[in-house]
Amino acid sequence: MAELMADRVEKLKDADVFVYHGKIFIPNTYTAGAVGSRFLIELRDHKKIMGTRCPTCDKVYVPARSICKYCFAQLDQWEEVSDKGTLLTYTVAGQSNGVQPVAPPIIYGIIQLDGASTGLVHMLSEVDFEKLVIGMRVKAVFREKRVGSILDIKYFKPLA
Amino acid sequence: MTTEKKADKKPEYIKVEIAKPRAYRWSTGKYLGKLYKEAMEKKRLVTNRCPKCKQLLWPPSAVCGRCNVEAGEDWVEMNDKGTVIQYTYLVFPLWDPHYGDRLANPYPTATIKLDEGVFLVHFLEEKDPEKLKKVKRVQAVWKEEGRGRGLADILYFRTIDE
Amino acid sequence: MGNRVAIVGIGQTYHKSNRKDVNMQEMVGEAVRAALADAQMKAKDVEAVFTANMETFENIFLPDELMADEMAAFMKPGLKVGTGGTSGASVVEEGFHFVASGLFDTAMVIGFEKQDCGDTTAAITAAVTPVWGKGVATGAIGEFAKQALTYMEKTGAKEEHAAMVRLKADKGACRNPYAHLKLGLKTVKEVLDSGYLVWPLRLLDFCPQSCGACALILASEHKAKKLTKKPVWIADVVTVHQEPFRAGSFGDPTGTEEYTQDIAAERLYKRNGITNPIKDICMAEIYEPSNWEEMSHYEHLHFCPKNEGWKMVEKGITEMEGAFPVNPSGGVLATNPIGATPTIRVAEAALQVRGDAGEHQVTRDVHTALATALGGPNWTVMTLLKRSL
Repeated sequence: MAELMADRVEKLKDADVFVYHGKIFIPNTYTAGAVGSRFLIELRDHKKIMGTRCPTCDKVYVPARSICKYCFAQLDQWEEVSDKGTLLTYTVAGQSNGVQPVAPPIIYGIIQLDGASTGLVHMLSEVDFEKLVIGMRVKAVFREKRVGSILDIKYFKPLA
Repeated sequence: MTTEKKADKKPEYIKVEIAKPRAYRWSTGKYLGKLYKEAMEKKRLVTNRCPKCKQLLWPPSAVCGRCNVEAGEDWVEMNDKGTVIQYTYLVFPLWDPHYGDRLANPYPTATIKLDEGVFLVHFLEEKDPEKLKKVKRVQAVWKEEGRGRGLADILYFRTIDE
Repeated sequence: MGNRVAIVGIGQTYHKSNRKDVNMQEMVGEAVRAALADAQMKAKDVEAVFTANMETFENIFLPDELMADEMAAFMKPGLKVGTGGTSGASVVEEGFHFVASGLFDTAMVIGFEKQDCGDTTAAITAAVTPVWGKGVATGAIGEFAKQALTYMEKTGAKEEHAAMVRLKADKGACRNPYAHLKLGLKTVKEVLDSGYLVWPLRLLDFCPQSCGACALILASEHKAKKLTKKPVWIADVVTVHQEPFRAGSFGDPTGTEEYTQDIAAERLYKRNGITNPIKDICMAEIYEPSNWEEMSHYEHLHFCPKNEGWKMVEKGITEMEGAFPVNPSGGVLATNPIGATPTIRVAEAALQVRGDAGEHQVTRDVHTALATALGGPNWTVMTLLKRSL
């Protein structure tokens, strides 16, 4: 821990000013909640992507959420959506930072799965960046070992 | 009024843990910078005085908030001796984010009034709870190596006979 | 003084140590729905939404963005309010100002905290500027520990008095369905037997870390009168800030500093014709992070002369059945989701004015109630509520 939290002081050359390079470490734990947990557990245990439906607004939210943003209703209708969808947009991240799921370059896309009203942000792979086209059909690829995380979907790849 | 729902079997709840140190850079600026420099080079504490109300500003700063004036560079060298006003010590370990660990620094902390009249929160060398009750006059014990971190250049305050 | 504003809806979550069953937004949504139900209003009826929490406790930046939908703020104006520990009261003041200006008819104000996400003391310790305080800060609790020791030395108060304050808080909490810690304490000995955290503060001397949210709906006079037969009027709000105590963040063991509570109390009482606080005001919900602080606050809020806060406890004046009840809800000692805590003080004081506090309703008739908030460093917000203006 001491090496991890090692600090460093830098004195500016032309002034009596010091710059302190340090770290703060406070572990955080976030709860997915009952609804979020069910969504993640369905990914883990059944390789199913689930959404919640608002019957009034005729919207299906993916990932599943507990509230309809438009009419404020509490949602309790669950339905499975397809693991196939349409690519709404995409980009590529070249720079690395400390919190990426895999090493860059990473292609990110927003995918509207068949049956969902919302877009899902995820990664794209098994494709050249130059060959990507908005409107492409893509399909989820699940990991072999899944833990109850959005990354249980490894990435989306183009439908042949 | 909301009512609590009771589940019929124990549901599984997923938690996501994020435990990564976050790096930051913090500049002392000119006024704190002088304190850092004097501490690092000469093992002494300095601060500046407000030109209007003549109070010592501590920590040294660019403005006097009470007078709403720029503080200026009237620097005063301070003795590193003082009197313990109050102290406390950890019994139950607390998480210290600067060390990323529990009970990172085991010394008791105290509010110390330096002889020039300014207050400082720092450590006391004395760890014995009975002896702590009698600690009154203290003096800073400086690090011999690795200075350059402002008040962290002082290891703790040692009890002195005075 | 602005147009008249009343609290027309009150909602809170059942405060707990852990809320694994919800994420942060959903937890806030519970309080929001409760407040809307209490006001018999729909989400679309609220014109602006304000929220407050301590962002570094959950380490979620822009939480208001994250929970816009759950707090019924979709496509609406509003603000995130941050004034340290007083944020939950400042958010009430913010909503109050918006409606008092006459530009808005309704506003919802929300305080929340989901403390199972992080470590509160660590987050407060991290707030101390680096290196300046590296390692020396023991969070808020270290400061309150020194404060407690100074209070004992200066006033002659005994540990038994602090324990009696805890017993009072627990009695209230056990009668408050929303309170977090309901311990069923019966004796002073039980409090004195709880282990030390930061000497001389014991585990039971100090507030818990809670997950919870509290929402209030404010309305202009003409709207309030249509919505409810029991509007609770916000008569006044006073906020006083100053730079940190020169000897620490929260406490002043030197006895030389001016407390913002004294100043705020003077201003509030003068502006509202209050000459004898414990007679003119019927009860108070104050922000007491420790039982020692509660006794000290009695003095700084002018409920009693200096150094005699512990005497009020000894005489039972501040018990639920007493002449001037303080914290019948269980206070902060029983429930502390920090961003929500000041909002809960206002909510609980409002419930007392309405006569809706159920089993923890005080014996004395409440036409005027006081809610206070405390923040590091030495910030105070005082809210005065009335049954009629």
